[in-house]
Amino acid sequence: MLSIKNLKAEIEGKKILNGLNLEVKAGEVHAIMGPNGAGKSTLSAVLAGRADYEVTEGTVDFDGKDLLELSPEDRAREGVFLAFQYPIEIPGVSNTNFLKTAINEKRKYQGLEPMEATDFLKMMREKMELVEMDKSLTSRSLNEGFSGGEKKRNEIFQMAMLEPKLGILDETDSGLDIDALRLVSEGVNKLRNKERSFIVITHYQRLLDYIVPDFVHVLYKGRIVKSGDASLAKELEEKGYDWIKQEVEANS
Amino acid sequence: MFRISLFEFRIYREIMLVENIKAEFNLYKNQAEKSDFFLKREQAFAEFEKVGFPTTKNEEWKYTNLKNITNQSFQSTCESTIETELMLSHAFLKDLTANKLVFVNGTFRSELSTIIETNESIVISTLAKAKTAHSELFNKHFGKYAPIEGQGLNAMNTALLSDGAFVYVPNKKTVTNPVIIVNIADSTDVNVLCQPRNLIIVEKSASLTLVETFYAVGNNPSFTNAVNEVYANENAHIEHYKIQNQEGESYHNNFTQIFQEANTNINHVTLTLSGALVRNNLHFFMNGQNCNSLLYGLYMPHGNELVDNHTRVDHAFPNCHSDELYKGIMMDKSVAVFNGKIMVHLDAQKTNAYQRNQNILLSNEATVNTKPQLEIFADDVKCTHGATIGQLDEEPMFYLRSRGIPGDVARKMLLNAFADDIAERIKIPELVELLEQEIEKKI
Ligand SMILES: Nc1ncnc2c1ncn2[C@@H]1O[C@H](COP(=O)(O)OP(=O)(O)O)[C@@H](O)[C@H]1O
Ligand SMILES: [Mg+2]
Repeated sequence: MLSIKNLKAEIEGKKILNGLNLEVKAGEVHAIMGPNGAGKSTLSAVLAGRADYEVTEGTVDFDGKDLLELSPEDRAREGVFLAFQYPIEIPGVSNTNFLKTAINEKRKYQGLEPMEATDFLKMMREKMELVEMDKSLTSRSLNEGFSGGEKKRNEIFQMAMLEPKLGILDETDSGLDIDALRLVSEGVNKLRNKERSFIVITHYQRLLDYIVPDFVHVLYKGRIVKSGDASLAKELEEKGYDWIKQEVEANS
Repeated sequence: MFRISLFEFRIYREIMLVENIKAEFNLYKNQAEKSDFFLKREQAFAEFEKVGFPTTKNEEWKYTNLKNITNQSFQSTCESTIETELMLSHAFLKDLTANKLVFVNGTFRSELSTIIETNESIVISTLAKAKTAHSELFNKHFGKYAPIEGQGLNAMNTALLSDGAFVYVPNKKTVTNPVIIVNIADSTDVNVLCQPRNLIIVEKSASLTLVETFYAVGNNPSFTNAVNEVYANENAHIEHYKIQNQEGESYHNNFTQIFQEANTNINHVTLTLSGALVRNNLHFFMNGQNCNSLLYGLYMPHGNELVDNHTRVDHAFPNCHSDELYKGIMMDKSVAVFNGKIMVHLDAQKTNAYQRNQNILLSNEATVNTKPQLEIFADDVKCTHGATIGQLDEEPMFYLRSRGIPGDVARKMLLNAFADDIAERIKIPELVELLEQEIEKKI
């Protein structure tokens, strides 16, 4: 589904991704861990198409398409969804109107008619339950005045509504208390299926107790330096990142 | 209309409109009976002769050059020949249940107007009629609020006003439906000058919703020079909306003085959708305690249009509140001027006054000149002001696009959101809807 080869990216002349490789197959959940500043958010931003980052080398293939050639909106409509680490507030744009527009733009792209209003509302209701979103939040402006936890839940709610092929979760767990963490994780788990893949970026192992990954990768200095199964996350939790850093320095 | 050779035209170019005005006043002077009203106009004319039109040397007119207006000839009492249906097809809010007063080239058109208010103590009429039918009220209020000293354009309006609305709401009465004043400038045949003059009196604990709309039809230039005097007696509540949508070579100057007695509540929104040059002078004077004055505006000029909003709020008594927010969406080579003056007088303790001006530039060639002016003579006050000029933010843009919303749609959503701060101050749903459509059309 997603094949990243030798990806290099920089911002303002600063090299951040230094030849990153990653293969994600349909239905798999990949966790990406790594110390602060390793380039995790950069990877997610480059995949979503943020213009600030310049890709200097490498390829990203998404279901046979050259992802890097697509505009951010086309990437989304092809099925990439990024749950932001810091979702922003957009006053004056209502949550509901925003989602309706997003869904219908995706349908238009797929050559489908806009969704019936009643179907849309029904879908909203169902997906809201998934993350126990408060109904009053949907009538408000996008994320405006939402608590940190509400914003993160809204990201997952949007993901549920847009039904992507690939969900990228950038530190969705940060700033969540244990109840919200469980809620968000359960929401994600319900969205897991044979076709849909996830890249779960996290700093802590905690989230991976709930969303159990098929693979765990360690991102350090813009490259994936170690990969393993779910047990790697546990090892990192116990030992921290220093031993990985030492391994990398020793090999270089 | 003058007929002059091309040679003479060159010579007189600089003084065209002034000459028109002088000739017109002389014509009027010879016919008029020598009433108090006449004396007022004569006085105004003398003032106009003395000060003339403002030039860019005047600090208040630094960025707004009237030479395209004053260099031309305009005719003020001209008939409109186009079909009324065609004319009204341009008008907004056609289907709104309202009291409608329609003025075409400054002349009242009763066949196009409708008054549905049934309470007979409420007067919704014209200034020309009120001058005799309600002479006491007329004499008490006319010319009392809009100053003419040093104000050439106000003086010109007073000297040669065409007609306008007269609304009187007695104590404790509420006008059930809005009063809409429709002003149409029809320049199909000639350059037309319209000088509407409205006098609005809302007595104690009375309330009124007032809508002014401005349109232009025809390909010749038009110049609208309007003066509004609004008097709000104690506890009165007024919703006041002004919609300017004069396309083509339309020039517009507007002076609105709102005079507030104690405990009055005024919500004012100016929407400037189109006009070659639009200058709004909006003045509030709080003449008692616990007044609430809300001033909101949205402008979205395109092409070479210029929109200039000069506002002034006089906090003359303690414990009053004013809130002002003007927003601009700037396209093409358009120019906007914002100058918001807040005067907090010596005795006006516990004043709360807020002012913001925010602009989005959708083009590199658009210009905004913004200047807040706070003059505070009291010491126990809360006043803030701020102005921003910038492009549409990248962050929200990316957020929307990352959800599959294409750039142009996302841009519209964000501009609508930007305008929403103003739209939500409008309490007529049909007008909000209309604004949304206009934004859709313009952007
Ligand atoms: N907009 C930016 N401008 C300059 N440097 C940036 C920018 N964004 C990220 N960086 C730098 O890139 C590196 C990786 O950042 P990031 O991808 O956010 O790491 P992570 O998400 O793994 O904590 C950091 O050193 C960070 O300071
Ligand atoms: Mg990060």
